[in-house]
This record gives sequence, C-alpha cells and structure tokens, in this order.
Amino acid sequence: MDFKIRPARKEDCKDVSRMIMELAVFENMPDQVKISHEELERDGFCQNPFFECLIAEVPEEHKSKDGFTVVGYALYFYTYSTWKGRSVYLEDLYVMPEFRGNGIGKGLLSKVAEVGKEKQCVRLNLSVLDWNTSAREFYAAKGAQNLTESEGWHSIRFDKLNMENLAKEAPKD
Amino acid sequence: MDFSIRAANVEDCKDIARMITELAEYEKVTDQVKITQRDLEQDGFSKNPFFHGIIAEVPEQHKSKEGDGKNTDSNRNKTTVASDKKWLYLCFLGKGIGKALMSKVAQVIGSGRGCHQLNFTVLDWNKSSVDFYLHQGCTDVTTDMGYHYMSCKGEAMEHLAQP
Repeated sequence: MDFKIRPARKEDCKDVSRMIMELAVFENMPDQVKISHEELERDGFCQNPFFECLIAEVPEEHKSKDGFTVVGYALYFYTYSTWKGRSVYLEDLYVMPEFRGNGIGKGLLSKVAEVGKEKQCVRLNLSVLDWNTSAREFYAAKGAQNLTESEGWHSIRFDKLNMENLAKEAPKD
Repeated sequence: MDFSIRAANVEDCKDIARMITELAEYEKVTDQVKITQRDLEQDGFSKNPFFHGIIAEVPEQHKSKEGDGKNTDSNRNKTTVASDKKWLYLCFLGKGIGKALMSKVAQVIGSGRGCHQLNFTVLDWNKSSVDFYLHQGCTDVTTDMGYHYMSCKGEAMEHLAQP
C-alpha cells in the first residue's frame, strides 16, 4: 500500500487528537485523556514546542472506511541522559487497525530514529504496557531492550495534584 | 544547615559532570558515562537546550571535605520533565536538600511551564530513592500499571534510522 510519512502540520492536530483517543481506548484508559486538538496546536506549534509529530498519510483512494487519509502518527520529544547525552522519547506510535501490516509502523519508527540521529541523539526510549504483547514484540524485533526486565528500571510519576503539593514547598527565590 | 537552590549556569557544568560520575559509581555503572563537561555546556546552554539544571549550594563554611559546596540535580525535557539523577554527598543528606530540589523542579515546570506530570525512572534495588520518591507522593507506574521502560541504543538505533 502506498503511504507517506511527513511532519505534522497544525491542521493535522484534529486527526492526531482522534487517534490519541483511539490508542487510549485500546489501552483501556480513555478517561485519562485530558487534552484536545487545541492543546496539541498550542504545545506543538509554538516557538519552543513541547513535542514533534510525524504523520502517516495514504492517498485518497485508500482512505479509511470513515474517510480519513491520516492513518497513523508518532509523537516524540527530546530528553537527556546524563550518561549518554541527547536522547529522544517516543511518547506514542499508532497506526489505525485497518492499515496495519503495511510497514507504516516501521516507517514511522524509523523516521523518528532518523530525525533523532540528525539531532545527534544516541538513544530512543519509550514505555510499553506489559500486557501489550504485540507492541513489546514489535519494539524488541527492532532492537529495543526492555530495561525494566533486564536492569530493574521503574517508571515513576507525579500527577498534577501531587506535583502542585510538592511545588508549594519549594524554597523561595 | 543553610543552603540555597538556584538555576544552574554554564559554569556549573564542571561540578555537574563530577557529580554525574559519582552517581554512576554509586549505581555501579561508571563505564556507561560517555558525556563530558563540554557536552553538558553545549546541550544545556545553547539556544534550544536539551535540559535544564537546578543547583543546591551551601555557604563556604559548610563546604564538603573536597572543598566544593555544590551538589546538583539535573532535570530535562520540556514536556514531562524527567529527573532521575539526584546526588547528594553523604554529609549533606537529611538536611532537606533533596526535597527542596524536587519541590523546585515541580514549581518550575508546574506553575512556570504549565506541565501536568513529572516522570522519571529509578532502579528497583535503590530502596532509599524509591522510598524517598514514594514519600513525596509519586506513583510507581511500572508496579501499579505495568509500564515497562524500553530503549533502543547504539547499533539498534543506527539500524532503525536507515531509510
């Protein structure tokens, strides 16, 4: 199947928002999605964007059953390892189910790695749910190591409320 | 003990590099540290920095036995800020410095930048760190939700980046 991978434009945010929700439904956590296309437009296309995004697009003749030509996305941002230096974190990679098996996921992942390499990033990191066997196998087949299993790394999170509580105790400048 | 928390500047990179190495020694992975003071200067203090840093500093009269009063927290990224490396000399533990550094990070990224989450990683055997973070109110999303942390590095990343 013919498809194209390209950087997202501001106008793509409605499609990206749609697919973020599809992914959240698959992960059984749709209630956790608190942002809409408006936040994506604001945060991804400002002067110092919080993320970058790649889109997978198919020609009109291959559009989805609901009429969409934007059928996949990869959303990522830059992080830093104090051991290795510049890194890229892949927050989301998603291809609509009816378009899987055509190399689109691989195409998106490779493009993120290529973009990261151009910025001299030496690592590509991501998180995957333990029950998501197909995703774990997909990334492992591409050479990703599971650092939780092999080295005991755990992901820790402060949510908004706990972050605010913590911030209240920050020393005054 | 009197201490101050402030934004890191480029001159702090020498101390930050020193403490990164010390933390790697504690985590038993000294050979894994590949970046230098110069990398930190370029990556943290250019037009589009890859990270931001916050310093904890003590007055001259409280300086460490090595003669330097600085210890460092590094935070990174602009969206969900990752802050997994915090290092305090033993003699400076228990003085509220770690808590002050974490709180400052939360303030800078929260009210400062509008962030809604603070994410980072910690080694499961590092009980004192795990206990410290849990005590501050965070969640272990690996244990509670099943998130596994994966990484593509070196040759694997090179291979992936082939068109």
